[in-house]
Amino acid sequence: MKFAEIFEAVIIALNSIRANKMRSLLASLGVVIGISVVIIMGWVLTALDDVLAETFSMMGADAMTVSKWDWSGGKKWEEVMARKAITYQQAEKFCEKIKSAEVATPYISNGGTIKYKTNKIESMVSVSGTKSEYGLTSSGEVSQGRYFNKSEEHVSSNVVVIGHGINELLFPENDALGKTIKVNGYKFVVIGVIKKQGTAMMDFMDNQVFIPLGAYSGMFGISGRSFSIIVKAGSKEKMDEVRLETEGIMRSVRNIKPGAESDFSINESKTFEETFAKIQTYVWGVGIGMTSLSFLVGIIGIMNIMFVAVAERTKEIGIRKALGAPRRSIMVQFIVEATTLCVAGSILSLIFCSGLVFAVATIAPKYIPELSFLSPVMPLKLFIVATFVSVCVGLLAGLIPAYRAAKLDVVDSLRSD
Amino acid sequence: MEKEVIINIENIAKIYRMGEEKVYALRNVSLNISKNEYVAIMGPSGSGKSTLMNILGCLDTPSFGKYLFTNQDVNEMTDNELAAIRNKEIGFVFQTFNLLPRSNALKNVELPLVYSGVKAARREEMAIKALEDVSLADRMLHRPNELSGGQRQRVAIARALITTPSIILADEPTGNLDSKTSIEIMKLFHDLWIKGNTIILVTHEEDIAKYAHRIIRLRDGLIESDKPNENPKTNFNV
Ligand SMILES: Nc1ncnc2c1ncn2[C@@H]1O[C@H](COP(=O)(O)OP(=O)(O)OP(=O)(O)O)[C@@H](O)[C@H]1O
Ligand SMILES: [Mg+2]
Repeated sequence: MKFAEIFEAVIIALNSIRANKMRSLLASLGVVIGISVVIIMGWVLTALDDVLAETFSMMGADAMTVSKWDWSGGKKWEEVMARKAITYQQAEKFCEKIKSAEVATPYISNGGTIKYKTNKIESMVSVSGTKSEYGLTSSGEVSQGRYFNKSEEHVSSNVVVIGHGINELLFPENDALGKTIKVNGYKFVVIGVIKKQGTAMMDFMDNQVFIPLGAYSGMFGISGRSFSIIVKAGSKEKMDEVRLETEGIMRSVRNIKPGAESDFSINESKTFEETFAKIQTYVWGVGIGMTSLSFLVGIIGIMNIMFVAVAERTKEIGIRKALGAPRRSIMVQFIVEATTLCVAGSILSLIFCSGLVFAVATIAPKYIPELSFLSPVMPLKLFIVATFVSVCVGLLAGLIPAYRAAKLDVVDSLRSD
Repeated sequence: MEKEVIINIENIAKIYRMGEEKVYALRNVSLNISKNEYVAIMGPSGSGKSTLMNILGCLDTPSFGKYLFTNQDVNEMTDNELAAIRNKEIGFVFQTFNLLPRSNALKNVELPLVYSGVKAARREEMAIKALEDVSLADRMLHRPNELSGGQRQRVAIARALITTPSIILADEPTGNLDSKTSIEIMKLFHDLWIKGNTIILVTHEEDIAKYAHRIIRLRDGLIESDKPNENPKTNFNV
């Protein structure tokens, strides 16, 4: 097959599209919709994937959290609820015993309200009581100021380290350090701001404040509440060793008989990742399903119009064959025509989607801040995928009509009108 | 000197099945045609003239019988080999012209060259020359519906000649033309014959047939007579 032959066929195809503008548009509507669905889905999902990947990397792949609660979603809710709380004494004992970890420190959280002058945040704020070692983990890393130290911890100073999100809300001028805010009505001095942790999907990570454990205990009390322990392995490679030791020590601290199931969970960002990966697969699966469906419709539309074209141009096919066109050439012509139709449709949807994507990404976040993860430009790979897919659809849709055209009897087609 | 035989058919038949019924378009036809012959095929409507022409032109294959085209067995050829023969060896002229309606005269004449793989620039050059030969250089960019019947047939003839085939087949080429235009077309055929081409034409007009040097008459799918025309007409004045 020569390039000139295909080029010729493309010219013929473009002419016939121009001659039947409305019909061509309607025929390629399925493809236009299909490609648009692919692009929009791909755009949203890629953005989501990026956000999640970013979030996971920030949560620290070298740490784990021992907790009554299970993050993986794999455990039965009632079972987890029925677990006994991890007491402060148990948590402390664990932290003393563990050898392989770089840092191990207990913490406890509760919902609370935050107020600075007239700015008040009531929902979604998590107040955590921690020790000074918490500042050595990636969740406690500061971008401004410092984490509280041992002596502040011992005297239960009213100092607070605030999350990135809180900082943005209360101090738009970014001048939090040294200011006094009210946590559940008590005055605290801001001494540090935690580095941005989560992203749009996980902004609870950034809506936390950390106060010394003693101060927390004074405000909320700690008896009967369950502690969590953050365990920093120090490196990814040490995770397995640390996990093993953690499991062993925790079981002995909690007096679990050999063979009985552990009544606590060792959560890692990996557990999270796995849960999200599962969701992602479902979402992509649904997306691919929808897309296949719209492409099926697209293929049928194009195929139908190609059958019409073959019927209309039977005489022309007869003439071409009488003058020596081989079957291949007739096939190429109709396949190229179907493909041209699809590619034209995909160009149409690319233009449409680029506009839509730009508009949505620039306007929507103004009203729904959670959508700020959307990017106003489409990834290049989507363009390539869309073009590739439309070419495939064209080839598929054109095949049968083209074959029928190529097999037409010369004398019969010459006689037709 | 005995001329080289380019068409040799023996006992060919063409049968169409219409449900239960069989239609014998050709019953039993045998025929030799040599290089540079000028043959007219005549006969009443439905006698099988077009069927015979289509078989001779490799547009169709016989139901029975043998056909050797320049000593090659047509029955043995594949679809693509037949297409190549039609492209290079045969120039077909139809009663209804069979031009592509959406292409101009130039593109129509170029078409066979597309399938013989001639480059675009060369194609155009050759097509312009061919249109000049039928005195249509000034109508090159016109579409068929902007041309008269005679002009259309001349475009069709230019197209048939573009690949310099050795044999011209014309099925009632003057059937849709008035007598003056018909004679112009016959002049073109005459000139081609002088140049050494082989010409076979179907007609039901005695006046047209008189230009040929051999007249074959068909009736009910059989050859009724096959006689030389001792006195072919060479007068092209109306
Ligand atoms: N595709 C076909 N199916 C059935 N019968 C056919 C077909 N083509 C031709 N015939 C029949 O074959 C016979 C010969 O037809 P053909 O076209 O060869 O006649 P013709 O001599 O060219 O007539 P005319 O002078 O009217 O053009 C006719 O009886 C016709 O009805
Ligand atoms: Mg006929």
